[in-house]
Amino acid sequence: MALIAIIDDDPDILDASSLVLKSKGFDVVTATNPVDGYDIVTKRNPNLIILDVMMDEPDDGFFLAQKFRKNGITTPILMYTSVSKAIGLEFGKSDMVPVDDFVEKPISPEELVKKVESLLQKK
Amino acid sequence: MNETKGKILVVDDEKGLRIGTQRLLEDENFTVDTAENGEQGISLGVASDYDLAIIDLKMPDVDGLEVLKQIKSVHPNTICFIATAYASYETAIESTRLGAYGYIPKPFTPDELIYQVEQGFRQRQLVVESELLKKERDENLIEIASEKSRLNTIIKAISDGVLVINRIGELVYFNTAALKYFDLDSLSIGDSALIHLPAPIVEIIKKIYSPDQALQKTYSIQLELKSNNELFVESTCTPILQNDKSIAGVVVVIKNITEFKKIELIKSQFVSMVAHELKTPMAAVQGFLNIILDDSISIPYDTQRDYLVRSVIRLKSLTDLVNDLLDISRMELKTKQREITEIKLDEIVQSVSQMLELELKKKGVTLITHYEEPIPTIKADANEINRIFTNLISNAIKYNKDKGKIDISISHSGSYAVIQISDSGIGMKTEEKNRLFQEFYRAKNEKTRGISGTGLGLSIVKKIVESYYGKIEVESEYGSGTTFIIHFPINTN
Repeated sequence: MALIAIIDDDPDILDASSLVLKSKGFDVVTATNPVDGYDIVTKRNPNLIILDVMMDEPDDGFFLAQKFRKNGITTPILMYTSVSKAIGLEFGKSDMVPVDDFVEKPISPEELVKKVESLLQKK
Repeated sequence: MNETKGKILVVDDEKGLRIGTQRLLEDENFTVDTAENGEQGISLGVASDYDLAIIDLKMPDVDGLEVLKQIKSVHPNTICFIATAYASYETAIESTRLGAYGYIPKPFTPDELIYQVEQGFRQRQLVVESELLKKERDENLIEIASEKSRLNTIIKAISDGVLVINRIGELVYFNTAALKYFDLDSLSIGDSALIHLPAPIVEIIKKIYSPDQALQKTYSIQLELKSNNELFVESTCTPILQNDKSIAGVVVVIKNITEFKKIELIKSQFVSMVAHELKTPMAAVQGFLNIILDDSISIPYDTQRDYLVRSVIRLKSLTDLVNDLLDISRMELKTKQREITEIKLDEIVQSVSQMLELELKKKGVTLITHYEEPIPTIKADANEINRIFTNLISNAIKYNKDKGKIDISISHSGSYAVIQISDSGIGMKTEEKNRLFQEFYRAKNEKTRGISGTGLGLSIVKKIVESYYGKIEVESEYGSGTTFIIHFPINTN
């Protein structure tokens, strides 16, 4: 079964997402900051990365995504966003934001699973 | 006697004619002076401004034309008649050239004389009136000219840029501030304004000049003239309407709004931070509830309960956050009515540490106080001072080591009470210390994981202290503890 890495600094979000994905049979590894996140991805080589847009800094999710791509890691990335719509910030996939899809928080289990499965199938 | 109509000088060397004329005119209510020769005529006619003068042409001493000339040179508005029995074409021309109004041939009948005099008198009235008007107009012009230069000085001195552009796009007026905003060394009246102005302003001017009347109105736009928020201006373009509603030109006023923009940016950054901070706990709670409600996911009862407990904790933090935000907004709007009382600092410390007793016990932290006698009292709102101590002492507990220590000392220094709160906790790195009082800043490292807070507590403390003209400082060493030092004025009213 596919391995999914979730990188988010909110333990509640990590636990909830892990539970949803595990209940659908996925294996899950987690990290709560960009440094550990990079670490688990290089060590465990997951099939999909779920990445929060904002951890310590408002944009460190973007930077981590850029770092993966720069270092040749092409694993699909699903980005968790939270406030983008609330503050009128709309962003899409681009060179600046090298991710494959977005999920708006709060997480709906159904939407999360759908997006995860569709990204895994594409690969 | 009726009011006099006017003053007439009669110059004639023939006594009978002189007196007859005088009597005749006096009957018509004129005031009449007489001169019996040319010399006397000149001296009288020059000495006062007669309305009319009737001058005999042929006199033994001085010629009538000379008398006319002399009087006219001093009083050009005296209406003069030349009376003569020897009317000739030449003298007529010469007397007119010298400014005579009319020619009275001798002998004349009373009616003829009166008719001429009345004519002359009306002329005199017209001349006097127009002279008055002219004087008035000259005075007004001087006033307008000085008003104009005053306005000019004002417009030149104001910091807003002002440009006036005519129908064909030429510059009609500008002040130095306008040059400065558009970074131009020089401009001349008559230059094409449109090639010197930023494109968005030119577009508006073209719109105002368009034949569509609906577009002929005032427009305002904001322009970033220098990037990185260095220079922001608001440009207002207003049509100058003529009486027939056609447009004579456009006034462009350029106002520097850089400072407003900076405040706006800070405000919108604050709003987005608040939005994020509010949404984060809500998203966590909603995520948990979505999972619990999802029938396709089976969760053991204990996990469900754990999620609900965690949801309640997140909601509690959300409530704390909203309360802190309300406090900040009340402080900034100054809507909160302060109740200033005398506060004994040791009593506040005691009541706050009692309130936090449970937290102290949970972590096994000891609190030690040192008071310098006499213990300073301050004048302030008890709730606000309570808030300062609650936030600082609860931080000292939260960021302390298990079984750590908190030292609180209160002393004097000049007109300040000095409050020091030290903990034996995790301390701070320099970059964390620098951002400590920023709203929503919370030090995030391996040691702070699991410590909750709104990120507003210290920002509130700082706001309160500074609102009483006090000062707060922090000393810290990473790994060994942090000390907050507050200087609070003792004589605050």
